[in-house]
Amino acid sequence: MIQKNAASSDAAAVESHIAIAARNVTLSLGEGKARVDILRGIDLQIEEGTTVALLGPSGSGKSSLMAILSGLERASGGEVNIAGADFGTMNEDQLAVARRGRVGIVLQAFHLLPTMTALENVAVPLELDGQADPFGIAAKELTSVGLGDRLGHYPTQLSGGEQQRVAIARAMASRPTIIFADEPTGNLDGTTGEKVIALLFDRQKATAATLLIITHDPELAKRCDRIIELRDGLIERDSAA
Amino acid sequence: MSAELGKAWTIARRDLRGRFVGLRLLIVCLFLGVATLAAIGSLTDAITEELANRGQAILGGDLEIAVAQREATIAELAALKQSGTLSETLRMQAMARLPDGSDTQLVELKGVDGAYPLYGNFTLENGQRVSAPGPQEIYVTPALMQRLALTSGDQIDFGEARFTVSGIIAEEPDRLSEGLSLGPVAITSLEGLRATKLIQPGSLFESKYRLKLPETAVPRETGGRLSEQFPNASWEVKTRDDGAPSTRRFIERMGQFLTLVGLASLVIAGIGVGNGVASYLRGKQGAIATLKILGADSAMIFRIYLFQIMTVALGAVALGLVIGALAPLAIIQIAGDVLPIKPEFAVYPLPLLVSALYGLLIAVIFALPPLSRAKTIPAAGIIRGEGKSWRQIDRQSWIGVGLAIAAIIALALGTANEPLFSASFIGAAAAILLLLTALGALIRWLASKAPRPKQPLLRLALTSLHRPGAQTGQLVVALGLGLTLFATLAAIQTSLTNEIRSTVPRDAPSFFVLDIPVERADEFRSKVAETSKAAEVNIVPTLRGTITEFRGQRVSELETLPEGAWVLRGDRGLTYSAIIPEGSEIVEGEWWPKGYDGPPLVSVDEEQGAAMGLKIGDSLTVSLLGVEIPAKVASFRKVNWRNFGFNYVLVFPPSVLANVPHNVAATIQLETAKEDSLLSTLPKEFPSISMVKVKEIASQIGDILDQMATAIAAAASIAIFSGIAVLIGAIAASRQARVYDSVILKLLGATRTQILTVQAIEYALLAFLLSAVALGLGLFAGWFVITQIFEFTWQPDWGIVLLTLGIGAVATLGIGLLGSIPVLSAKPARALREL
Repeated sequence: MIQKNAASSDAAAVESHIAIAARNVTLSLGEGKARVDILRGIDLQIEEGTTVALLGPSGSGKSSLMAILSGLERASGGEVNIAGADFGTMNEDQLAVARRGRVGIVLQAFHLLPTMTALENVAVPLELDGQADPFGIAAKELTSVGLGDRLGHYPTQLSGGEQQRVAIARAMASRPTIIFADEPTGNLDGTTGEKVIALLFDRQKATAATLLIITHDPELAKRCDRIIELRDGLIERDSAA
Repeated sequence: MSAELGKAWTIARRDLRGRFVGLRLLIVCLFLGVATLAAIGSLTDAITEELANRGQAILGGDLEIAVAQREATIAELAALKQSGTLSETLRMQAMARLPDGSDTQLVELKGVDGAYPLYGNFTLENGQRVSAPGPQEIYVTPALMQRLALTSGDQIDFGEARFTVSGIIAEEPDRLSEGLSLGPVAITSLEGLRATKLIQPGSLFESKYRLKLPETAVPRETGGRLSEQFPNASWEVKTRDDGAPSTRRFIERMGQFLTLVGLASLVIAGIGVGNGVASYLRGKQGAIATLKILGADSAMIFRIYLFQIMTVALGAVALGLVIGALAPLAIIQIAGDVLPIKPEFAVYPLPLLVSALYGLLIAVIFALPPLSRAKTIPAAGIIRGEGKSWRQIDRQSWIGVGLAIAAIIALALGTANEPLFSASFIGAAAAILLLLTALGALIRWLASKAPRPKQPLLRLALTSLHRPGAQTGQLVVALGLGLTLFATLAAIQTSLTNEIRSTVPRDAPSFFVLDIPVERADEFRSKVAETSKAAEVNIVPTLRGTITEFRGQRVSELETLPEGAWVLRGDRGLTYSAIIPEGSEIVEGEWWPKGYDGPPLVSVDEEQGAAMGLKIGDSLTVSLLGVEIPAKVASFRKVNWRNFGFNYVLVFPPSVLANVPHNVAATIQLETAKEDSLLSTLPKEFPSISMVKVKEIASQIGDILDQMATAIAAAASIAIFSGIAVLIGAIAASRQARVYDSVILKLLGATRTQILTVQAIEYALLAFLLSAVALGLGLFAGWFVITQIFEFTWQPDWGIVLLTLGIGAVATLGIGLLGSIPVLSAKPARALREL
């Protein structure tokens, strides 16, 4: 099933403002009898600066789609263009380099580097990208997520909410075109989760980045510009929120 | 590229910051391996350098010419004096007697001239530097003072002369080149020694002529020239660069063994490094995936963790070098008396550099494969919750490993004293590792194919051996090495203990008696019979001579002696006999008929004959007292060297040697109770004789072997420590999976004892399967050390070897189970949250 973006009546005009373009994307794991088709032909275009919620039951292919769109995994077939880069033709190392400054990722389990302070965690992608003054930028970013007084703290010295805020700062620090967030509140209590989401949207607005967020929460989905629902590896519904 | 290196270094440094915990195993193993090699290298260099530096003092000159049973002729003396400053010494075994006849003692009696010592210091205990004592004076060692309860100024008799003890020897500079002594040392003047009348034609003494050469002279050339000038002199020539060949050979042999221990420790360290790095990187999977998400490519990941591992490796190597460099200081302090020479402490850069290179190369070889796998950890693993899908090692890493192996082989070939020995040992060690790795894979495969036992604990233990992520391979290598080391050590130790026990066979004689005048042989027999009618006396003629030619080849013209043909080295004991000597049997050829009076024949020990490549009918010439006697090989004998009787490589018919001036020697076997009585009566009647108490020699040899066994055990225990560290590391590596198992089992109602039983069964299965392999490998290693390095008889105590292996298996099992205690104490609720 192919769902068209309702807002894209003039395709040619939209092309230049497209942050994410996927055409007939498939993903299969295993071989022979053990082969599992996880994504079975996804067509998708997301405009720059929009916020998109990706919904669907467990096993529908949400995380896999996000992994492919964020360049963490290569699709088995189809075309993937992310912020002007052809992710479909890149190998793993080229994808890693292409992610720099283009893609920011926030994960449910935070995945901060436990051996580094909050400041260092945020500085790492900037350093890898070869940016000037990575620590200055990182400090500013952490201040903007309300952790200006926690720069020297290690992940184990921070609460869950604070850790996720560090992860958001880390994802945002290099001013990526697109932010991917995989159930960012999944490991947080309700109140903290609310605060983190507010911050995420806040920062998205401030940086004008495209935000694609995986969630099970319909209320959160409603805050996005667009909702895409997946089932059995296909887009079942694609609508404005 | 340098910017990328800079980024990698910054992240690596930050990530590492004081958190070495994950790399503890790498640190311990590399430290032990490098420290052992550095210590061995430094100690060997220290001793070798000391031997070289003190070469002149040890030898007593730049050049030494030794000759048995005679003094130099006037012509020879003139030639020697022309070559440089000459010092002469005479040395023999003699019986010291108290003037009242109440006590006797076998002594190494040495007469020195006024020029002695040409080099080094001859010092008394009061600090006085001396030369030859007066003609009726004698200097003695503290050991002789103690044995005869002497005090300064007391008198002792040797032969027909009486001496006053006028000093206690603190340092005899040429002690090391004099070789093994059967009794304490006493030094008098040449005149004093001659006054004893013990120097007679045929008596067993050695004359040494040491030369101080002009600075421009080359000792070897001077020695060669003198030998050419007197081709029949039967001299043994030594130069200052090899003044104590037997000590050098001992050091070389010990060095060879210690190198083996060092390399074994290093190979074991390599396994520890491999396991440690793999386990560390497994713990870093999350961080690696995160770094990839943040934009690090695989090359960056490789660089970051290579920097980390090599930084820690460098630290461990540096620590190992410091300890290795200081170790000789401790060894000299603790075991200085056991060493043949007490070297001065110094830092020796070459062995330290070589040890560091070995350590770093081993770290590269064993760290590259897990590093190569780690860089391929997929970033998507984090999202999928996988991250455990380790991939293959890439080609570049294999090339890196290959280059490092080539560098190690080059290092072994380029720096070892015996490159082939070191290279073959590394090859053998690699083969053992491959064998154990293959065995690990086989055990996994067998466990997966074996029918599932009905008993649940047994079933769990069996499945633990082959399930995905099982550490069976690592455990097999670690356990296999540990058990092999236990078996090796037990085989070496028991073989040495048996060597000590069999040093003196039950039917060994009570005494060796040397220098009995041939004409008083019958009188000697009857005197012994007076003390004990049951005494058995076996008298043999004794002469000393040098082989100068065999199979038409002059020995002096040989560049190197044939391997194992020690009989060609210097002068050796010879005898003659009408009948086949006791303890010998003919294996080839025929014994001469009674009353044989034809052309000279000789019967040769079969092993030495084979080493010289002799066949029946070949020519063999010996030189006795400056006269060459050409003979034909008539027979080969198998000689029982261990019967503690008089055994000779060369035996001639009486017609050949009976007319050469000589003495006879005897073995006496009698009741222990009468030994002391004989010891006090015989020397009074026969002042020229030397009586050697067999029990004393046995105790001396026993002491040396005992010290050797202790040194071997101490050195080998380092390898065992490394093995245990590797084993603990292997167990720690599997801890996470075991915690998970343990928690799930607890949730299902298993008790701690049941969980522990599963692990005990698993380790016991492995230990049982590995014991046979370890026994085989350990016995081979032990046999190699005992027979090929130390040239002893292979006689391990099988019972003790098996028992040690059993204890080793139980001990490793115990270590394994101890390592499981943290696993057992995991709280299910907490562990489930964290896992």
